[in-house]
Amino acid sequence: MTKINLSDLSFFYQRQKKIVHNLNLQLPIGALSLLIGPTGCGKSTLLKIIAGIYPKYGGKMTGKIERHNLTYAMMFQNPSEQFTMATPRQEIIFALENLQLNHDEYERRLKDAVVFTQISKLLDQKITTLSGGEKQRVALAVLIAMNVDLFLLDEPFASVDPEARSFLIKKLAQLRDQGKTIIITDHVFNDYGPVCDQVFEFQGPTIVKLNQAQKAALFKPKRVTLHFPLPSEKETAVFNLNQTKIAQQRTLLAQDQLKIYQGKSTLITGVNGIGKTSFFKALTKMLPYTGHITFNDQEVSGWKAQRYLTHVAQIFQSASDQFLAVTVQDELNLSKKDRNHYFTDEKIKQALEQLDLTDHLHQVVYSLSGGQQKKLQILLMLMTKHEILLIDEPLAGLDANSVKQVLALMQESQQALQQTFLIISHQIAELSDFCDYHLQFAQRKLQYVSEVQHES
Amino acid sequence: MNPSLKFLLVFIISLEISIKNSLTTNILLILAALIFLLWQRIKIKDILLLIAVPFIAAFTIFATLYWFQTQPDHQYAWILSSRVYVYVLTIACVAKTTTATELARSLEQNLHLPSKFAYGVLAALNIIPRMKAAVKQIRTAAMMRGMYLSFWSPMLYFKAILVAISAADNLAQGMESHGYVEGRARSAIIKIPLTSKDWCLFILILFLVNVSLFCFK
Repeated sequence: MTKINLSDLSFFYQRQKKIVHNLNLQLPIGALSLLIGPTGCGKSTLLKIIAGIYPKYGGKMTGKIERHNLTYAMMFQNPSEQFTMATPRQEIIFALENLQLNHDEYERRLKDAVVFTQISKLLDQKITTLSGGEKQRVALAVLIAMNVDLFLLDEPFASVDPEARSFLIKKLAQLRDQGKTIIITDHVFNDYGPVCDQVFEFQGPTIVKLNQAQKAALFKPKRVTLHFPLPSEKETAVFNLNQTKIAQQRTLLAQDQLKIYQGKSTLITGVNGIGKTSFFKALTKMLPYTGHITFNDQEVSGWKAQRYLTHVAQIFQSASDQFLAVTVQDELNLSKKDRNHYFTDEKIKQALEQLDLTDHLHQVVYSLSGGQQKKLQILLMLMTKHEILLIDEPLAGLDANSVKQVLALMQESQQALQQTFLIISHQIAELSDFCDYHLQFAQRKLQYVSEVQHES
Repeated sequence: MNPSLKFLLVFIISLEISIKNSLTTNILLILAALIFLLWQRIKIKDILLLIAVPFIAAFTIFATLYWFQTQPDHQYAWILSSRVYVYVLTIACVAKTTTATELARSLEQNLHLPSKFAYGVLAALNIIPRMKAAVKQIRTAAMMRGMYLSFWSPMLYFKAILVAISAADNLAQGMESHGYVEGRARSAIIKIPLTSKDWCLFILILFLVNVSLFCFK
């Protein structure tokens, strides 16, 4: 079997330590390979090197890559950065025109890609209005339509719900059986067991292939039933929903009654595009609603944004949306200006160490890896004086160790300050101990549930 | 009509009326454009905006020439101020009947402009709604950190520019990751036709405008 050869490969961004150093790696063609490693280790960078994007767009590289004339395409970690055109259909046309295909071929491939990723309803919607998970499916559809030999997928399922995820992984295995080469980076390993041919793990600036035993241990299924208590009516509510409707092109939420309880952590789960983030947007006044949502017995729409947002804040899905300054230190200084009593200078220093960010203080925030950005973002927002934090996918893109660090920090902060957390996540197992209640978002309704079957 | 041809036609007419003075032609063009827009079922609100907004410019020019010249030239005042409306309304006719994507495709396919240019313009247009959303997001993010960013706040623009720069860089990478190679031939899956009917209409309209320009004052 021929292989994609990386020989003596070294790569670094300016003035940074080498991300990969003298790497010799052979990636088998016609196989599905998983590339794993802690947050910020260089998984995305390596994929971009294989995709020929680096060093063209940044960094310095020595060494050689043999791709054996395979055609290739890459799906970025943040899919909204990848689209040129306004709608999924136009984006697919654009990509296929680049490959110089004719109209008949386009129709055939469009059909394949749409069936494969089940995006027929999304084809002519504006990409800006799609949810994070929907964008990831569209990004995958473009690659399917391009019908390349080598698929480079950078955390393609980070915001995809578990059902769609397991469906798409099975589909990718079919592609592999047709002779395609697939390289995926991910932090969540369920569903890969039966389909993954080999696993490569980043260890420092080099990469090793896991042996059968290590691989089996990684994929060992752990099916658990998780229990959450149900809230009692006596508790104090911070948010009260009454005949509330939220719509964005289609109705997302139509809720008769709902209470969100004070000083508790509530987990919100639901499939992609159901409206979880839109619900947060309505709670932060970024999206209008009809009916009533009251905060401390006052209608949310009646609050002045400036005052309201000193009580309620959101930790955005995309970390870079939260940043306002240039370097990590600048961001910290900004948050220090108006911080709560728990985060003293000493505590901040300790938290930075806990999150492995101490070495990055002078780095530009946008040059941090996806996971490092996420950790910094969460720290910055925990430092503020808000009583309520709406946290959108806090664990997406974090390795197991970082997940622990982040959760520990959130827990300390909540115990000290009695904040109310509302958390959107697909990683139920990791959050089951942390969260008091569980709200399930389905069929345009949010409902407290006590038992969930979960596979991890 | 073919988008590029439409665009060229409006461009040539605008150039011609800038050089040759003819109030009759200007008024005929304004009427024709208005009738065309109504025929295309433009919203009344839009048409009122199209009349109200350029009025400031048109009236300023008119007032200067009509009342504040040492030797007022009334005919010239009317010509110059009506010109403003010709520019605005004719380009509105193009904008009403063409999407940005159609124009970009047409520029690439019919006028054989480099695809880099066509898609660069298109990508820039597609970024506008994203920038709008970004500005709103930045202001909200700032309020959540206890800062109120007004519309003239340097921090707002600093961050907006950062968003734009990173969007531009990502866009280049994104285009490349979807198979775009600068200078390489591309196929045309959605063909923008350039028919003889388009050409006939183009020549006819241009001919009529020129007749009017040279025959009427």
